[in-house]
Amino acid sequence: MSGGVLLTGSAVRTCLGDGVATFAALLRGESGIGPLRYADPDRLNVRHGFHIEESGQGPDQERPFRASGWLAACVTAALAQAGVDPARQRVAVIVGTGLRELRAVERSTDVPPHRLHFAAVLRDAVPGLADIVTVSNACSAGGHALALAQDLVQLGEADAVVAAGADAMTESMLAMIGRVADGPAAALRPFDASRTGTLLGEGAAAVVVVPEGSSGRPLARLLGTGLSCDAHHETAADRDGIARAMADAYARAGRDPAQVDLVVAHGTGTRLNDALESELLLGTVGVGPLVTAVKGAVGHMSGAAALVSLDVALRCLATGMVPPVTGLERILDEGRGLRFVAGAPAAAAVRLAQVDAFGFGGVNAVSLVEAA
Amino acid sequence: MSVAPAARRAAARTRTIAVTGWAVHVPGADPLATPPERAHELLGRRGLLAKEPATRLALCAVHRALGLPAGAPKPAGPPDPRVAVVASSNLGNVATVRRVAEAVRGGGIREVSPLDVPNASSNVVASSVAIWFRLGGPNLMVCSGSTSGLDAIALASLLLRAGRADRCVVVGAEPDDEVAGALRRGGRAGAGAVVLEPAAPGVAPAVVLGPVRPAPDGGQGSDPAAELGDLYGAHGVVQVALGAALVAAGAPAVTCVCGDEVDGWRSVELEPGR
Repeated sequence: MSGGVLLTGSAVRTCLGDGVATFAALLRGESGIGPLRYADPDRLNVRHGFHIEESGQGPDQERPFRASGWLAACVTAALAQAGVDPARQRVAVIVGTGLRELRAVERSTDVPPHRLHFAAVLRDAVPGLADIVTVSNACSAGGHALALAQDLVQLGEADAVVAAGADAMTESMLAMIGRVADGPAAALRPFDASRTGTLLGEGAAAVVVVPEGSSGRPLARLLGTGLSCDAHHETAADRDGIARAMADAYARAGRDPAQVDLVVAHGTGTRLNDALESELLLGTVGVGPLVTAVKGAVGHMSGAAALVSLDVALRCLATGMVPPVTGLERILDEGRGLRFVAGAPAAAAVRLAQVDAFGFGGVNAVSLVEAA
Repeated sequence: MSVAPAARRAAARTRTIAVTGWAVHVPGADPLATPPERAHELLGRRGLLAKEPATRLALCAVHRALGLPAGAPKPAGPPDPRVAVVASSNLGNVATVRRVAEAVRGGGIREVSPLDVPNASSNVVASSVAIWFRLGGPNLMVCSGSTSGLDAIALASLLLRAGRADRCVVVGAEPDDEVAGALRRGGRAGAGAVVLEPAAPGVAPAVVLGPVRPAPDGGQGSDPAAELGDLYGAHGVVQVALGAALVAAGAPAVTCVCGDEVDGWRSVELEPGR
């Protein structure tokens, strides 16, 4: 289980658009934040979100099964970029999601249960797919999908595996954010001293994982993903659990934290996560790499979050440009010494990048990608 | 740690996977299978507040699969990073999700209990098992419909062969509340759990788990859990638990086929080690 696998296709859909548009907006320091739709902001104590504009839909008209639609589009696009044909190769899909299509259950109980997960919609969109498994691993689901995709490829159980992620918002999860927040956050400001909490984003992402030596132009080599569970608390993150995932990632990748050039951090904009993640980064990768994060621009995309961060890391590898952390003005005390990119993009030769994702339930996934 | 991680992973990759523990916890099917509201008889009283029925059933099934006696206290100490958890449930938190959304529309978030916060996330079953039994390895929540139970078994086997854990607890659980019943008519509440481990070299395990495969003609296949009814996301795990018990009691082989026309079919074979 060494040497890694190749990534040959990557597609995302965020509130800022596709991967190219999202990266361009990140470089400009833009945010896709807007008024919360489809639910009552006053009752939720949540006033903003990072919504995807939909043609032909008014802001209050909520199309059903929105996550499924973005997911199908991203999986199709990523496979096309990779040149992988599920009719001729054995292609499996692992879909990571925080909230599945539970939004449908909030609106009605007249929902076919198979529409809560994603096999049916992907079989319609991409004929010929082999196994399609939905893994509901909260805010690090995409990182878990990536780990399992690499394991499946390296054990020879598929010719290619699509690791994907998708989420829309549920009122019940918005209520949890509103319930624990002091007041409604007006912005999501990762690693800022005056951050006021997280906000949800919508969208999907998909990346194609193939064995070394496969055809197709590699975007990068996926060296490994470390996984752990805090086994500590249902919602509060834990130092030891996250540290174990980071150590596992470097052990599996056969790299040293001193070698990393870039960290795309989890950075949720909550008091606890950003302080804890800063301390752990200082204790592992230290002052060496640049650190950026995307949630200030695209929101917390839950199941898709890790793979959107991965897509950004791939574009940093390709372009030598690292976008700033949207919303970061004054670095939190716990992060002093880390090389946060703030205010403007940084030019840097990036060879090795770390992508963090931590979720409710203490589920952690830390991935390492390297220039191919 | 005496064995280098790379060497340990290389050894795990080709290992036979053994089923070393199993339990079926379907209320009404056997006297030990306490319903969710009586989970404390098995688990003790501490820590069950605000746990949903599916989580309670899952905890009961794992408690029994690990061979813990009724009323035994929760394990203590630091989490074991080499034990993974893979849980399967489709409807575990649908009632909470709907109740919270209705409460918000009624009176706003003041109507929402903070105790419900963890239950808004579908992976609450998997993380609760990890916290309760102190299991710090990889933690997966599979929600993939009728095949979900055997998908969980397949991913557990993958975690072991990829060297991510030395042991994996697999649990499937579904509730039968009003919302679950509206979404899937005729479903039964229940749980099953199995413990999987790579077999030690040179030892023939009592029960060996074969690879989980697609079963295109699945409707014709065998279902050791047929008598228990429709356990949906728990079904595949309960099948493997029952199959393991049959093989341990002398059956030459047991095939478990799980799924439906929409989600597809999966199959796995259990047999004695050689």
